[in-house]
Amino acid sequence: MDFRLGEKAEEVKQEIRTFLAENFSEEDRKEAAEDGGGHNWELYRKLAAAGWVSAGWPKEYGGGGRDPYEILTLYWELCKAGFPWIGLLNNGFIGHTLMVMGTDYHREHFVPKIASGEIAFALGYSEPGSGSDVAGARVTATQDGDDWLINGEKMWTTTAHTAQYIFMLTRTSTQDRPHRGLSIFLVPTDVEGVEINAIHTMGGERSNGVSLTDVRVPDANRVGEVDKGWSVVRFALGLEQAMGYADLQERFIQQAGAWSLEAGPDGQRPFDDARIKEQLGQTAVHAEVSRLLRHRSTWLAAEGKDLGGKGAMTKSFSGTSYLDDAQSWMDLVGPAGLLKEDEDGALAGGNFDEAFRQTPVNTIYGGTVEILRSLVAEVDLGLPKSR
Amino acid sequence: MDLSLDESQQILVDTFSEMLEKECPTTHVRDHEDTGFSESLWAQYCELGANAMGLPEAAGGLEMSLLDLGLVANLSGRALAPVPFLEVATVGRLLAKVAPEDAALGALAGGVPAASIALPRPHAVLGTSTTSGGRSLIPFGTIADQVVALDGDILYVAENGASRRSERVQDIGAGALAHWNLDRASDARILASGDEAVAAMRRADAEWKLLAGFWLTGIAQRALTIGSDYARERIQFGVPIGGFQAIAHPLAECAIRIDGAELLAQEAAWADTADPDRFEMLCSMAFAWGSQTAIRTADIALHTHGGYGFSTEYDIQLFYRRARALSSIAGGAKEELQTVAELCFDRDGSGKAASLLGGAQ
Repeated sequence: MDFRLGEKAEEVKQEIRTFLAENFSEEDRKEAAEDGGGHNWELYRKLAAAGWVSAGWPKEYGGGGRDPYEILTLYWELCKAGFPWIGLLNNGFIGHTLMVMGTDYHREHFVPKIASGEIAFALGYSEPGSGSDVAGARVTATQDGDDWLINGEKMWTTTAHTAQYIFMLTRTSTQDRPHRGLSIFLVPTDVEGVEINAIHTMGGERSNGVSLTDVRVPDANRVGEVDKGWSVVRFALGLEQAMGYADLQERFIQQAGAWSLEAGPDGQRPFDDARIKEQLGQTAVHAEVSRLLRHRSTWLAAEGKDLGGKGAMTKSFSGTSYLDDAQSWMDLVGPAGLLKEDEDGALAGGNFDEAFRQTPVNTIYGGTVEILRSLVAEVDLGLPKSR
Repeated sequence: MDLSLDESQQILVDTFSEMLEKECPTTHVRDHEDTGFSESLWAQYCELGANAMGLPEAAGGLEMSLLDLGLVANLSGRALAPVPFLEVATVGRLLAKVAPEDAALGALAGGVPAASIALPRPHAVLGTSTTSGGRSLIPFGTIADQVVALDGDILYVAENGASRRSERVQDIGAGALAHWNLDRASDARILASGDEAVAAMRRADAEWKLLAGFWLTGIAQRALTIGSDYARERIQFGVPIGGFQAIAHPLAECAIRIDGAELLAQEAAWADTADPDRFEMLCSMAFAWGSQTAIRTADIALHTHGGYGFSTEYDIQLFYRRARALSSIAGGAKEELQTVAELCFDRDGSGKAASLLGGAQ
């Protein structure tokens, strides 16, 4: 066995740390947290210029051909630093998908611009009436000559307000079972009929609701065959579920640990309180297990092996353990834990407050923990399908 | 990165799986609840070299890695094998390091389960007592004649078990537990003192906990199989109960935690040579998480059975009891998590040690 990610990943780590040191100041971090949109064009284009948007795409299509361990490290370092990286994650995937599943037109017209950071896409799957039941999408696309007209509402379309396009799941047929009547379109955000409204969250993120009224999209912007969009979506969800939040858990425990070793107002180190020590141990174990599960998902992907329920395990464990820890810490640290970063008396740079506000969503987006557990029960334990 | 077992490890797994399937069905476990030790099964272990596999060649051993030992411990946990594999492996390796000429090492290498260990349990409410008249519960203390213990910075062997140990005391896990008087004023053989002694016990403690982490993971894996099988077979309201999310989701959550426990134990064993700075911390984590996972899984699997899980006729209660017992004998998970924190953040007590999180490079 060998638990190391390897030399190439180590080089990426150093490279990204250098990039962050040179380009991402403490001020930028605070601004990103304040903005909450998950994307910053100036920083994003610097990453694109260094080849990071297309880093994981196959070399034969002009991508960077980086292996899954390098890509893991890229996301890990950015995420841990508080870098607004959602745009990078989405476009890394979408560009890759268009390369492999798109038309020549997509490859020539969109892919190079995604790689260079000229344009970016947001993901448009969820709707007000379909969350976990992704295949229940009701935004319609109806053919009108050589074009399609798109109507309906999308929800949780994070980065839509900064992106030029939305990679959108639509319904093109109601004749067969729900997942057999779906198609994917590349929908511009600056055309008539698109209205983007901010949705703010308790965790400080800004997401969007998108309303679409007779939005005209050329057939050339369709990805994959009509009514066969489901396979594209499944690929995307699998990618997201195999990640989890181990990087953030690592940052959280490191900050909690550093805080606990400093003497508090009473002259005592929190570390010397048995309850604090126990919770530190628990949080550290959770972070390590999350990291191992994520590394295993990455290893399986790198080896070309079937993930089975292992991707779902990664996100499920990470989401629930981080949430549990954030709540347990809040119960331990007393009133000062309530204070936001930079407030007088805030603990550990607002570490506890931030995690408490942000972690509830981790068991929800990108596949709720309930959906993931059903998947594990079916795939890994052979239990009957359950809803 | 490579998370698969190599060919020789796979052969080791196949060999012990086959032996345990044949020699240690749960009926065999039940038949030995009155002593907690199966002499015949231990003979089978020794036949496969389990007693000496982790020892250096000079001591008559096979110089196999901690990962190899861990694989055997994991299979032993799945089978609930009533044998002192953990204690024999740990004490043997300790003696081989600090007292390679010691007669007890020869006995262990020859297959006699002659020695056990007094685990330190530094945070436990009732920890190991080495003071005169103090007693400590010793795993397989009923069959060992000698116990290795640490008193301050003196590492010694408490000899003459006949005069030191109590009768077997019955415990939840149907183990081979006895109270030992570890007083070193008489019948004690000093092995080492000072830093060397402390380091040797730290190391042995870490190894025992690592192997126990594998063992506990094995208990959890088998308990999950039993629970899942039952959930597929048991019909209520006209359908298998495994189709109800109230049954399926807790089992799925256990499957997830178990995969983490297995990876954690394997990483710790791998770190012995590949990432030595993190070895102790990972061993401690493997034990704490293995404990939590085994106890939780056995609980969930037991409750999957409804009332039958509570009856002695069904096997799941054997796992429920033993998961708890193996964790508690070293102090339990709450105690161990404090050790994790110390090893993670404050190894030398200065509060300035760098965090060991973040993985191997």
